[in-house]
Amino acid sequence: MSRMYVLEVPENDGFVAVATRNPEIAIDKVGPYFRLSSDGDIVIDRRATGCRHAVWYSAIAGLEGSEVVQHDKDALRVVAR
Amino acid sequence: MSEKPIHRVQGVDHTAFPTFDPSGTVRFYRDVLKFPVVHSICAAGWGPEKHPDFIHFFFDIGNDDRIAFFYYFGLEPFGDPDAPGDSWARLPKGTPEFFVNSRHLAIHVTDEEDLLEYRRRLDESDWPVEMQVMHETIESIYTHDPNGYMVEITRALRPVTAQEDLDAELTIEALCDVADGDDPSMDKLLARKAELIVERAGQWDTQRKLVHS
Repeated sequence: MSRMYVLEVPENDGFVAVATRNPEIAIDKVGPYFRLSSDGDIVIDRRATGCRHAVWYSAIAGLEGSEVVQHDKDALRVVAR
Repeated sequence: MSEKPIHRVQGVDHTAFPTFDPSGTVRFYRDVLKFPVVHSICAAGWGPEKHPDFIHFFFDIGNDDRIAFFYYFGLEPFGDPDAPGDSWARLPKGTPEFFVNSRHLAIHVTDEEDLLEYRRRLDESDWPVEMQVMHETIESIYTHDPNGYMVEITRALRPVTAQEDLDAELTIEALCDVADGDDPSMDKLLARKAELIVERAGQWDTQRKLVHS
């Protein structure tokens, strides 16, 4: 399973909205963090999030048993470690 | 008698830098940015070393905080003036620009109107704005003063939220754990931080409600 955390702040709304629309990603809350879990990879399309540069590259709060294999201008891909 | 808090400091009294170009420095801070000159000391050299005579002068940067400069009579700049760096230090050639600029002073303004006013003042001067950047929660303009010191002027895009304080606390704890170990990396930090989120963040809402109730 791939799992990551994103802090609930207004700048991350677009990021979380994209994850919410993906049926393969389950989302729940741990305190003020969104926890994104998936049996497969977690893939987020950057343009769909509408996040500006600085927000996009600082959106990840934590990686649980997972690692980032892509984080560039196109997408973020988090896979099970 | 009321207890004094643990955290008692009250912001920046002054931050001080050497200058070899006092008139350029005065033009930049007093004439372009319109920072009032608020204090100066004319001091004869003293002490066990051969200390040069010097002027120590201060500009108000708002909130009663000050930026100060030392000008030493007869002192020549140190290091290669063409090397990256500033009047305080020249770094080896090839030092990356992000590292050179990492040490800088950021001065706060209230809103976009004020940020753009300082942008206008700088753009009409010999030290125009080099970049304007929208960061995560702040927007900033940057230039270098006549001494090569990078100056940032910044405004908050919104107030900092309570959860960002928690997030900062967890980040810094994870950073210390990872930086003291072998081969620190962002990957290791984010893995450690996830452990801390699982341990602590769940109780955060409850604790916060108790504190504020």
